[in-house]
Amino acid sequence: MDTFGYLGQGFGVALSPYNLVTALCGTLIGTVVGLLPGLGPINGVALLIPIAFALGLPPESALILLAAVYLGCEYGGRISSILLNIPGEASTVMTTLDGYPMARKGLAGVALSLSAWSSFIGAFIATCGMVLFAPLLAKWAIAFGPAEYFVLMVFAIVCLGGMAGDWPLKTFIAALIGLFLACVGIDANSGVYRFTGDNIHLTDGIQFVVLVLGLFSISEILLLLEKTHRGQEVVKATGRMMFNFKEASAVFVVNIRCGLLGFVMGVLPGAGATLASAVAYMTEKRLAGATGKFGEGDMRGLAAPETAIGASACGALVPMLTLGVPGSGTTAVMIGALSLYNITPGPLLFQQQPDIVWGLIASLFIANIMLVILNIPMIRIFTRILSVPNWALVPVIAIITAIGVYAVHATTFDLFLMIGIGIFGYILRKLDFPLSPVLLGFILGGLMEQNLRRALSISNGALEILWASPITLGVWVLTALMLLMPVLRIWRKRSAQRRALADA
Amino acid sequence: MLVQRVFAVAMLLVCLGLAVMAWPYQAAFSYEPVGPRAFPLLMLALMGLGLIYMVFRPSPVVHSEDDPKLDRETLTKIGLCVVLLLIFAGTFETLGFILSSTLIGIPMARLYGGRWLPSIVIISLMSVGLYLLFDKAMDVPLPLGLLDVLEN
Repeated sequence: MDTFGYLGQGFGVALSPYNLVTALCGTLIGTVVGLLPGLGPINGVALLIPIAFALGLPPESALILLAAVYLGCEYGGRISSILLNIPGEASTVMTTLDGYPMARKGLAGVALSLSAWSSFIGAFIATCGMVLFAPLLAKWAIAFGPAEYFVLMVFAIVCLGGMAGDWPLKTFIAALIGLFLACVGIDANSGVYRFTGDNIHLTDGIQFVVLVLGLFSISEILLLLEKTHRGQEVVKATGRMMFNFKEASAVFVVNIRCGLLGFVMGVLPGAGATLASAVAYMTEKRLAGATGKFGEGDMRGLAAPETAIGASACGALVPMLTLGVPGSGTTAVMIGALSLYNITPGPLLFQQQPDIVWGLIASLFIANIMLVILNIPMIRIFTRILSVPNWALVPVIAIITAIGVYAVHATTFDLFLMIGIGIFGYILRKLDFPLSPVLLGFILGGLMEQNLRRALSISNGALEILWASPITLGVWVLTALMLLMPVLRIWRKRSAQRRALADA
Repeated sequence: MLVQRVFAVAMLLVCLGLAVMAWPYQAAFSYEPVGPRAFPLLMLALMGLGLIYMVFRPSPVVHSEDDPKLDRETLTKIGLCVVLLLIFAGTFETLGFILSSTLIGIPMARLYGGRWLPSIVIISLMSVGLYLLFDKAMDVPLPLGLLDVLEN
């Protein structure tokens, strides 16, 4: 198997001392960033893109840094959900359900290390899945033409609406906003300036980092103003820090099951970590039945969502690396980072730059192990960061965000644009619009338009090319199914209500 | 509900405006059947359809329990915060990074409930520290502005 040869080569890249130090720095920075209110994996990674670029890191090290930051952020989010009962983001909501009660019982250290361990197993299973399937998918994806890509991206957008949340309409509108924003700037095919309003700074479009930091950081800063009080006390992490063998083996089956589930959910575009963790938790709760103490500090209730999150995070890399189509907000950010280095993810990446692909996969492994090890000596320092008050944190977050934006092009125009986008993002958030579809739409927009135009150039304008091949037809069928999902769900909910009314 | 309707109508108007803006976008000469205006117009049209649906059937916004209602006080605070950020962006290059971030950082810390003295001390130290960290250690060039004289 040459795949294993490549994987070995990837470990060679990731284990070089330089990259190991990079990964260590990344996990540390990531954990701190994930701990802070208002900074999550998406803006954590986005902030570091211009900085990694300014530091002159070679592409594989930069990717390793970003992957390590990403995993660190997820871990940091876990600390605040376990010790504070405040989920850092949507996907860690499930972690608080059993993690916080465990911490209250005096098992905070065990809960933290066990969650890191679970996430590691999840990532391990997903990485194995990736090693097996990604090259196959990449080989298959070479047969994709522009029409197939266009349809695939339509599917990815529709998936978002079909899977995420109760208000598919808002998800669609959010994605369309992103798709539209991608059109701003000079049109590469014809040289026409679109929606620039004769502003020089907009000629090459809205900068990715500006959009991400505006949407996520600035809107979060404004959102934090509403929450002046801090409700929960930090639970002190005392006593045993490491889980023991008995505890690990008690949740091992759960780990395996949820790892597989998380991987599958991660590969599907749009599903992502939030849905994976929820489904995993619910499934395990049902399987445990009466023997489980879910919600009161059951270890399985902690292990299930964490394994699923770890697995889906790695699973999400499969469509991103093989097809170049991101399925989640964070992978969208990673694509943004890759494009800064002029690397286009897609089937050819596996052949042309195996170092980068397999180095990234190997570094995910290593970063996960580092997190488990770091947990033990560092946890006391990390918990102290949690008690830094907002008044000291928020201005610093605002200032660092501005540095990140300024580092891209060194113009103050970008700063103003970021604030404008931030206010818009805040309004969207207040109205319950999800923000990551905007980001995903923004990344997919350019690709989608290019592929559509290319496909129609091939067919000389005949629309039939969009459903001519069996692959496109298949994807259209899936898309139609996805579109029907929310309708079905609403219909079922309504008929259940009607039945309840009839019974009463 | 009303807020959502207002938002949807406002967004619809923006969409219309952008569509009018996009109408004349045509390539001077072109080899391809799809020009530069088709895709944005398609997106705007789809968005418009969604927004029209929203005007007539807005979905309720779910408030979680710990989500306080927006009152006048919070709104003023948010307004102030935006003004501070705008001042920051405006003075970033003229005053330089250290001065502008201290200038807006201190009132911002006050806005989030810090006391005068600790705010002044921490924000001033942070501004200088972040400048040294990013400009000197990490090679991210930041403007010195008025402090340029100190450089040489």
